[in-house]
Amino acid sequence: MEKVFTIKKLNLKYGEKTALLDINMDIPKNEITALIGPSGCGKSTLLRTLNRMNDLIENCHVKGDIKYEGNDIFSKDFDVIDLRTNVGMVFQKPNPFPMSIFDNVAYGPRCQGVKDKKILQETVIQALKNAALYDEVRDRLKESAKELSGGQQQRLCIARAIAMRPDVILMDEPTSALDPIATAKIEDLILELKQKYTIVIVTHNMQQAARISDNTAFLLMGELIEYDKTDKIFSNPAKAKTEEYITGRFG
Amino acid sequence: MGLTVTTKKIKQRNKIVDKITQIALLMPTILAASFVLLIIIFISERGVAPFLESQYGDLSVDLIRFLLGNEWYISPNVYGVFFIIINTLYVVFLSAVIAIPISILTALFIAKMTSKTISNFFQIVIELLAAIPSIVFGVFGLGVITNVVKKIAALFQMQTAGGISTLTTIFVLAIMIMPTITLLSITAIKAVRKDLEQNSLALGATKMQTLFKITLVDAKSGIFAGIILGVGRSLGEATAVSMVAGNAGTGPNFNLFGTTRTLTSTMLLGIKETTGLDYDIRFSVGIILVVLIIVINLLLNFAKKKIGRFS
Amino acid sequence: MKSKRYVKDKLTQLLISLVSLVGLIILVAVFFYVFSNGSSLLSWNLITGDYNSNVFNGYYSTEITTNDFAAPSSLSDEEYFSTRWGISFMDDEDTEGHHIIMITYVDIDSPLANIPDKNDETATISISSGQKLMTVRFSDNTMLLPSNGAEKANQLFDTKTSIADIMVSTSGKGIRGSLITTLYLVIMTLVIALPIGVFTAIYLHEFAPKKNKFVNVLRRLIEMLTGVPSIIFGLLGAAVFIPIVSSLTGADTGNLISGSLTLAVIILPVIISSTEETLKTIPDEYRQASLALGANRNQTTFKIILKSAIPGILSAVLLSVGRIIGESAALIYAIGTSIKDEIIITERSTSLAVHIWSVMSGEVPNFELACAISIIILIVVLVLNLSVKFIVRKIAY
Ligand SMILES: Nc1ncnc2c1ncn2[C@@H]1O[C@H](COP(=O)(O)OP(=O)(O)O)[C@@H](O)[C@H]1O
Ligand SMILES: [Mg+2]
Repeated sequence: MEKVFTIKKLNLKYGEKTALLDINMDIPKNEITALIGPSGCGKSTLLRTLNRMNDLIENCHVKGDIKYEGNDIFSKDFDVIDLRTNVGMVFQKPNPFPMSIFDNVAYGPRCQGVKDKKILQETVIQALKNAALYDEVRDRLKESAKELSGGQQQRLCIARAIAMRPDVILMDEPTSALDPIATAKIEDLILELKQKYTIVIVTHNMQQAARISDNTAFLLMGELIEYDKTDKIFSNPAKAKTEEYITGRFG
Repeated sequence: MGLTVTTKKIKQRNKIVDKITQIALLMPTILAASFVLLIIIFISERGVAPFLESQYGDLSVDLIRFLLGNEWYISPNVYGVFFIIINTLYVVFLSAVIAIPISILTALFIAKMTSKTISNFFQIVIELLAAIPSIVFGVFGLGVITNVVKKIAALFQMQTAGGISTLTTIFVLAIMIMPTITLLSITAIKAVRKDLEQNSLALGATKMQTLFKITLVDAKSGIFAGIILGVGRSLGEATAVSMVAGNAGTGPNFNLFGTTRTLTSTMLLGIKETTGLDYDIRFSVGIILVVLIIVINLLLNFAKKKIGRFS
Repeated sequence: MKSKRYVKDKLTQLLISLVSLVGLIILVAVFFYVFSNGSSLLSWNLITGDYNSNVFNGYYSTEITTNDFAAPSSLSDEEYFSTRWGISFMDDEDTEGHHIIMITYVDIDSPLANIPDKNDETATISISSGQKLMTVRFSDNTMLLPSNGAEKANQLFDTKTSIADIMVSTSGKGIRGSLITTLYLVIMTLVIALPIGVFTAIYLHEFAPKKNKFVNVLRRLIEMLTGVPSIIFGLLGAAVFIPIVSSLTGADTGNLISGSLTLAVIILPVIISSTEETLKTIPDEYRQASLALGANRNQTTFKIILKSAIPGILSAVLLSVGRIIGESAALIYAIGTSIKDEIIITERSTSLAVHIWSVMSGEVPNFELACAISIIILIVVLVLNLSVKFIVRKIAY
């Protein structure tokens, strides 16, 4: 099986506080990998390490090794911006930019220097279609993205990430701020996207992980306790801690 | 039993004391609020007088000639304010054109691009600049900026009246409104939601692309508020401007190296008597200034609503 | 393998960093200019001296023929000491560049320390160091003028036996009057504005009924004051306060009271908003706790709230003092521009800022003096602003 990310001996500290401890895991291509664990266990931190968003945090120190498509992402002449265009990200709270729907989706390509109106038009429409949003917004592409509902906004954010034609999409609890109907739509969308993209998703919701992911990683206090096929984790976990967590005994 | 009676009494008394205090405090509040009205009433009264017959012997000013005239000479009482309005708008506009980009970039630097220590240092620098009184900028303008402008003029093989010119006025105003716009922009930029910027970076935008396309766009309402305040300041700025404007007698003058005359410099310069037509006409100019400030404010606030549409 | 975008990004960053140096450069330039031009003039004499120079005219008819006085040990090479009269001279230039003879020393036993006044038979005048020698006519009608220079002056003084006419003047151009005026203005303005401002803030925040139309109108009117340029406040002073003060005190021009009233209106919005801001930070529990103890709202406000609002009021006061010291346009209208040495609150005089205006708007602007006064203003404003920052930080933590 092809691997997108290979993580070896990853350690991360915020100042003196250890947030990730000796993480080793591989993320397979075109599958959905879920990160679960109690609040504060380091799920978001791990996710943010994959596109080096932790660079932005001042006192954050990373040790260890992550390879993306075989390249060391921490090496000196590795282009972070390149990495981020290949590894898209969707955040917990939908956060449309203060501009029109069209401009939101066209944002990434434009930043990369795409100026051709036709190419932009096509990219945006394709991305909106892929994000299952096009039919709902086709008549108001020039209107402010703030007018959309929460679920629509989150799909817009996914469209925005897709418009970059990334290989990987990282999602940090993308449905936790949404109502059940909007959540269902996004889950369908994620399953749809699996055809083309590798997806890593952080979720608080055990059922969601079980429903949509192929692999599940369980983290606890910065350590990777167990990482396996989702079926295996939910039906027959190897570690007692994992079982306790997924059966809802803590966290 | 006795205790309840006294509590009741105390309560009653407290209520009365409360009421009295409330009324006593309302008085200074009304006083404070009345000053704007006093300004409007009394400046109007004095400012309208020059246009009324027989207020100053056989002297009076024709309102139309005042509003549309392009000459201003104290003797022989030629008062035309039109070119002064145009000149005022011209210098204020150009000073804003210079100050706005510098202010916004400085604000970006302070708010987003540097370490805490350097950021604090620059913030203090801007705050001190904002606190320097107008008169000191006037001295600086006359002593330093005139020389700079003389050099610039020499480059273009132009002459200035000892460096006193439209351009000097523009530079002085730009320096004076820069801190105002910068400080308000810093506040606006710091208030931008962090997750928007993070998301932009996550989309592969560079730091600068993020700052220009997301941060500034999201902060534009606040920045615009700073610009409105800055422009208001420069319209009303008097002392420093009067020292470097040169008080041209005719206009409008668009030549950067020629002298100019603003509404405020007209009001401030050459006061000899504190009665009579030449004094009271300054109140008429004051009315024009206030009206101009209000109109420009309304226009800019309208524009602000327009550009703030997406946020 | 870094992209072109990366390079562009770095270049933009560099550009912005350079642009943000503009503010620093201007600040440094202002300070450098003002200090380098003004510091030589800034002295104790300037701060305590009169602005107007006084001319003294005297004579000394008793004959002196001995050269008994000893030169003081502190005498420098440039000074010329007359052993006959016990007085020393030095060449100098005044601020307009004219040649003058300064008197740098007068012996306490010198006959010139106490001579009859030519204009008043009963009075005496004293020649003393720091005065300028204007003209001397000795008894044999030899004339001495400033253009003769100190050396010649000394030569004449050492040989002539009596003086028919000597005219000296004090140097003048001092700023004591304006300094005192500024202090008066600061105190009087605060005395007027503080109670009005603080009470207004307390009313608006603690007592005013919420969502009351009338209160909202009051609030809007007060907020509008912030946008009024100071020259318009000057017009208010000229049109309203000068007539009021005149009718009450008989003053016939702009004066310190009308000036203070005008300044009070200018600083009112600062005091109101700053006080109200601190009132907002006081948690409601304070008010409730006090009310629960049976205190009425009155007691609550004045005992608890006012005390907690003191830092905010203090920072408003400091900011206001800076504003008062720096204000010029409004005062040119509300008081006037004549520099005075004798300060009377019902008459004209200038604050330091208007003093600068006066010496700069004459035919020959006096940059040196303007810069010397600017140094004082800048230092005070600087200290005030940094103190406010300190106080605000104190409140925040
Ligand atoms: N910017 C930060 N600075 C310091 N500590 C942080 C920061 N972000 C997260 N942490 C800490 O790191 C740990 C892991 O956080 P996070 O990855 O956000 O957890 P999760 O997403 O699993 O809830 C937590 O203890 C959190 O307090
Ligand atoms: Mg998280």
